[in-house]
Amino acid sequence: MRRHWMVAPLVAAVALPGTSVAQTPRPSALDSATAAAIAPIVAQAQAAKLPVELLIAKAREGQVKQVPVAGIEAAVRTLAQRIHTVNDALAPNATEEEVRAGVDALAEGVPVQTLQAMRKAGRNGSLAVPIGVLTQLVARGVPVEKASVQIVDLLQRGALPRHFIALDNRVREDVLAGRRPDESLDLRLKGIIPTLPVPAQVEGAGLKANTPGKPR
Amino acid sequence: MRDDRDEFIDRVVDELKALPPVPADATARVLARVEAARRGGSDGASVHDAGDDVTYFPAASDESKAVPAVGRPVPDPASPHGARTGGGLRRRFIVSFPAAVGYALAATLAGFLIRGAMPRSSTSTTVAQVPTDHVDDSMLAPSAPSVTPVSSSLSREAQENPVPVQLVLDARRATSVVAVGDFNGWDGRVTPLARDSASGLWSTVVDVRPGRHVYAFLVDGKTWTLDPRAPRAKDPDYGTEQSVMIVGTP
Repeated sequence: MRRHWMVAPLVAAVALPGTSVAQTPRPSALDSATAAAIAPIVAQAQAAKLPVELLIAKAREGQVKQVPVAGIEAAVRTLAQRIHTVNDALAPNATEEEVRAGVDALAEGVPVQTLQAMRKAGRNGSLAVPIGVLTQLVARGVPVEKASVQIVDLLQRGALPRHFIALDNRVREDVLAGRRPDESLDLRLKGIIPTLPVPAQVEGAGLKANTPGKPR
Repeated sequence: MRDDRDEFIDRVVDELKALPPVPADATARVLARVEAARRGGSDGASVHDAGDDVTYFPAASDESKAVPAVGRPVPDPASPHGARTGGGLRRRFIVSFPAAVGYALAATLAGFLIRGAMPRSSTSTTVAQVPTDHVDDSMLAPSAPSVTPVSSSLSREAQENPVPVQLVLDARRATSVVAVGDFNGWDGRVTPLARDSASGLWSTVVDVRPGRHVYAFLVDGKTWTLDPRAPRAKDPDYGTEQSVMIVGTP
């Protein structure tokens, strides 16, 4: 009973528009049942100083897609775990966009070790675009191990977001033309790598080809 | 003491007596030159009339240089400098045009030299705080093009500044279209599309942060519609198809 009293204000904060307890930048549109279901998860994330807006957005996504409350709650709970994992993997000072990209990558099967290697290889740059392109390559059908190694290698070579976006566009065009995604990746890397500024490797940032499998 | 001073004076007098004799017409020649200068002599320089305490500028013609019989000059009304300019022993310099150009060039060159020796305001605060005796050209030089990745020169947050992206959907029979996606927290009230009267297409421009984003359109508030111009991916959590865009800084 006492626990319900503690959760009740958080439910109101999630469900009601304009409240600031949950740090929502925009009015949320969650129905009361969904808000109540995810409130404890949000409270835990808030206590751990994780970006709770991602959790609320995931719940809204479920509502828009007309997913039952139980399914939304399960997805939000899984997402909270991913956020925690990614926050550690991309430490220190991961941005919210990096965390959002990282949880999408984990959901797509990218191993956490890849994210750690990307943080080391990417120096001080934002990883939002490289992680996003990696996620999309995997979603297109490139084996996650192969895609992980190649993306980390590009980061080590000093690739910029525009290089990653160009790679994604070319692989997409090749796949639309009927080429296999992994073959296209190999081919298009040959066109991008010579344009990169840094041939040297960053010590300790490499990713071996026998990267562990999916942590899902 | 008095005898010493007399001896000194005597020596001076002796020295003066030893100077070459002044020609008899010297005084007359000096007066003639002064008079010529007063009438706007050939050297073109201004002449100060000590008696009237007035400064004149050379006039363009002999008429303007006319002096009334009473000796008071008449300022040339046609000349901007013809007006009387007040009292005091003031002196003005008139410089010929080529000389003025030369002075201007010299001043400009001096300005560049002085500026090159001073810290530039465009340098960073860190450089500005360095003592000037330790500032060299390499520290003051503007940043040169380099192969350093942008990612190392900008903060992560700066690299993630939103980029305007146009979303377009051809739904001519629709009465309303909204975009929902991770860029707007899947909030269907945030990003409505507007119908273009000419083409009939629905479109909007939304600020999206760089990265991979998933989205879809809600037509008439209920119909889940994918973007035919974008690649698709299956949502691993809810299992639905959605459109994908990868946004980067221009």
